[in-house]
Amino acid sequence: MMKLDEIFATRNWVGNPIRRDHDIRFLKGEAEYVDDLPIECAHVAILRSIHAHARLGKVDTSKAEAMPGVLAVITGEEVARVTKPVPPRAITKPATQYVLASGKVRYVGEPVAAIVAENRYLAEDALEQIEVEYEPLPPVVEIQDALKKDSPLLFEEAGSNVLMQDTLRHGDIEKAFREADHVVRESFKMHRYSSTPLENWVIIAKYDRPSDSYTVWANDQQHGRSIVNICNMMGIPNSHFRLIVPDAGGGFGIKLALWPYIVILCLLAKKVDRPIKWVQTRREHLLAGTHAPDCEVEIEFALRKDGKILGLRFQDIDNDGSFVHTAGIYGMIKFATLVGAYAIPATEAEMLSVVTNKGPTVQNRGVGKPTMIFVLERMVDIAAKQLGIDPVEMRLRNFVQPQQMPYTTPSGEIYESGDYPECLRRALRLAGYEDFKAKQGEWRKQGRHVGIGMSASIEPGTSNLGYYYTARGTPEYTGNAEGAIVGIDYDGNPNVMIGSVDEGQGHATTIAQVVADMLAIRPDLVTVHTHLDSLVSPFLGHSGCYSNRFNDVDLGAVIMATKKIRDKMLRIAAHALQAKLGDLKLKDGTIYSAADASKAIPFKEIAALAYKRVLLLPEGEEPGLKEIAYYKSAMAKLPSKTDFNVQITHSNSVHVAAVEVDVETGLVKFLKYVIVHDCGNQLNPGIVEGMVIGSTVHGIGAVLLEEFVYNEDGQLVTTSFMDYMKPVAAGLPHFESGHMVSPCPYTLLGTKSVGEGGAIGSLAAVANAVEDALAPFGVRVKSLPITPEKVVRAIRETKVI
Amino acid sequence: MYPIRVTINGKEFTHEVEARLLLVHYIREKARLTGTHVGCDTGNCGACTILYHGKPIKSCLMLAVQANGAALTTIEGLATKDGLHPIQESFLDKFGFQCGYCTPGMILSAKALLEKSPDPSEEEIREALEGNLCMCTGYQQIIDAIRDAAAKRQPAGAKSK
Repeated sequence: MMKLDEIFATRNWVGNPIRRDHDIRFLKGEAEYVDDLPIECAHVAILRSIHAHARLGKVDTSKAEAMPGVLAVITGEEVARVTKPVPPRAITKPATQYVLASGKVRYVGEPVAAIVAENRYLAEDALEQIEVEYEPLPPVVEIQDALKKDSPLLFEEAGSNVLMQDTLRHGDIEKAFREADHVVRESFKMHRYSSTPLENWVIIAKYDRPSDSYTVWANDQQHGRSIVNICNMMGIPNSHFRLIVPDAGGGFGIKLALWPYIVILCLLAKKVDRPIKWVQTRREHLLAGTHAPDCEVEIEFALRKDGKILGLRFQDIDNDGSFVHTAGIYGMIKFATLVGAYAIPATEAEMLSVVTNKGPTVQNRGVGKPTMIFVLERMVDIAAKQLGIDPVEMRLRNFVQPQQMPYTTPSGEIYESGDYPECLRRALRLAGYEDFKAKQGEWRKQGRHVGIGMSASIEPGTSNLGYYYTARGTPEYTGNAEGAIVGIDYDGNPNVMIGSVDEGQGHATTIAQVVADMLAIRPDLVTVHTHLDSLVSPFLGHSGCYSNRFNDVDLGAVIMATKKIRDKMLRIAAHALQAKLGDLKLKDGTIYSAADASKAIPFKEIAALAYKRVLLLPEGEEPGLKEIAYYKSAMAKLPSKTDFNVQITHSNSVHVAAVEVDVETGLVKFLKYVIVHDCGNQLNPGIVEGMVIGSTVHGIGAVLLEEFVYNEDGQLVTTSFMDYMKPVAAGLPHFESGHMVSPCPYTLLGTKSVGEGGAIGSLAAVANAVEDALAPFGVRVKSLPITPEKVVRAIRETKVI
Repeated sequence: MYPIRVTINGKEFTHEVEARLLLVHYIREKARLTGTHVGCDTGNCGACTILYHGKPIKSCLMLAVQANGAALTTIEGLATKDGLHPIQESFLDKFGFQCGYCTPGMILSAKALLEKSPDPSEEEIREALEGNLCMCTGYQQIIDAIRDAAAKRQPAGAKSK
């Protein structure tokens, strides 16, 4: 692997909080989100199921079609005739589902028909004129309903509502429990929530009849896979489908699942022969725009009396709702943090993916790892209490120690570096933990219900994409990789294009910092094209903005392409200057000879040779200055049930929250919130800080406020931001953060993951703090969210949240 | 159809519009000023915040015809030929944005706040932003940016709260 000194010619930019001047358009109202594009469009509206579970009879669109301004209509019957079903990834049972409901509806909000009209108001008017015959079936809403022997089946062909079930054992789990002095067992329930990007899904589709091809603009987050899926389902050659992804208003995983709607839009665009647009409403987003699944977890620790965790048994049942493409993923990805920050030598994990009549699920920020760490960090506190050990001491006794790095977990996850005990100690110091504990008794006497909680977590990055096939044994994707194109323009300034997309993380600035330090220029001279165009962008099946992979593979590809272009410029310079290649250095947009300072050539002159005076190029050197490179993460193992790594990099953090609970109203107020994290080398600390805090607020929303609530009929009752509560500025703590730097030996820049960590570590820290605050009442936290209503009821009656 | 005349960022627009056209759709689709965004359709998120005679409003909660005769400011009206508005500059300096979707609304809410209360405390800023959701930043760097903008507006030597 290249050393940093080989990569960088200067060290002026990388590692510094460089302003995001590349994204200045966002501040001026000049960004180009899909809905902002100046393309005259007819508008699409989607008719959605009002039933959670029903046989679908006749869908009569004749009245709607006859309305003035209505241009075309499509129903599930046609979709099932002309497209293939949605491809599953992790499930092992057959389950056939199309992008519009066909034969059956399986959740409230499932698309039943779509209409194109001259404008969105007319399209929505026309929806009301579609007549649908439903024959309601008993809804299957909660996990335990779905598991009943006589439960109605969502997919009759599967013969069960459990579409994936697998048990993986690693290490000697029988021995661990045989030798245990104590076994601590607990069950937890995790609710449904979502990171709800502020921009909803938006798609524009245009059909070109002469070439029989489609151009689509969409805020798709994982276009590499989407393009393959869409072309396969529509049975069209890849060359007949072009996807453009301009600016996106946040993603957090939720935009990984919009591609089925691209299929609907393409089919409609072909009917009307003009560009059409669908702008998802927030209600549609909350109903059908995908959630993190709710789940039920049973967990057991085999413990020695000194607190050492000898083994862990785990059963995870995910309510994956009704989207077969992603069902099963949440179970398998938990292996990335199955043992958290602890050296637990043996594990047994049973994973079940259950389908129900709740809405679709997709990889929401952290994907299953927020649940895994929540459960583990609750368990560590519970076990510590039962053994009479201080929770800090309990963690210190079980942490993977720095001298054990790189540490391989029983299932094969490789924790590359880090000092977990020191991270905890620093966080506790920053939070004034000892002082808080010393004063807590006094505050309690004064009638204040204050508590402090901690959570030590692992934040994995760069998915090794084969992991979810582990249950199926047939990986379609493995590893992770990205592509980049770097060129030098006529004027000597670089331009960069990558195969991925930006959801708002400021990729352009970070790329410009890296390229600037590789070429010894200023970052403002680097043009970065962050809009993806599948016609020209160097994408792969892995391409997309997910799993904290940017620092690793996206920048890996940028570095490799920049190195190629730099090597070529050096060769051309050596020839032009009649200098030795080994003597050449870069400075301020010039290549000069360290042996003879009079020999210097600006990039612009090198570009002139490459683009214009090509007869003066060195023998055998190709004209032009543009290079493409693909970079694959070096550490991914092929998936196997005995030894696999779900993800490649592993940041770690400790969150400490101090709270005060109002026992009359049930409101939880923050007194302090500290995050100490280690994401390896930071390329732009200003951006990193925003990701860490923003991600933590996602977790705080999940732990205290947000929940998709379904009633027993399978109707979602939280369908706007009035009842699906998001965190606002008021009421949040002022976060204090600390950093540690343990570079990753397996990434080119020593970076690890950043972006999901806060959403993973915050849940247990807050829950542990609330339980500590309510200790005088004996209240235990076994489910989320910790709403005021649940707090008050637990204090007065149930003793369990 | 109803004729309306509105002034947006000092420029006059006249259109014939349907009575049911939302102001936000008018601004985006008729006036073609797309910096005002739609995030929730129910007035909760603040992505569509504009200034109506200088006061922040949610333009998804008003009909275009109700804005007949009004003077509106959208995000496009802040930067000048000489550069960014100082609040925009502070958002850049303090990393007060990520995906940028809430940013126009945040900046306009901040502008209205600072005109009313030139040196707000953190608490006041948090309250003033209650109608603006940001899904990316966790608000802290936005608050830093607004404090920074306030500090730079203060005469030298004035003490910040």
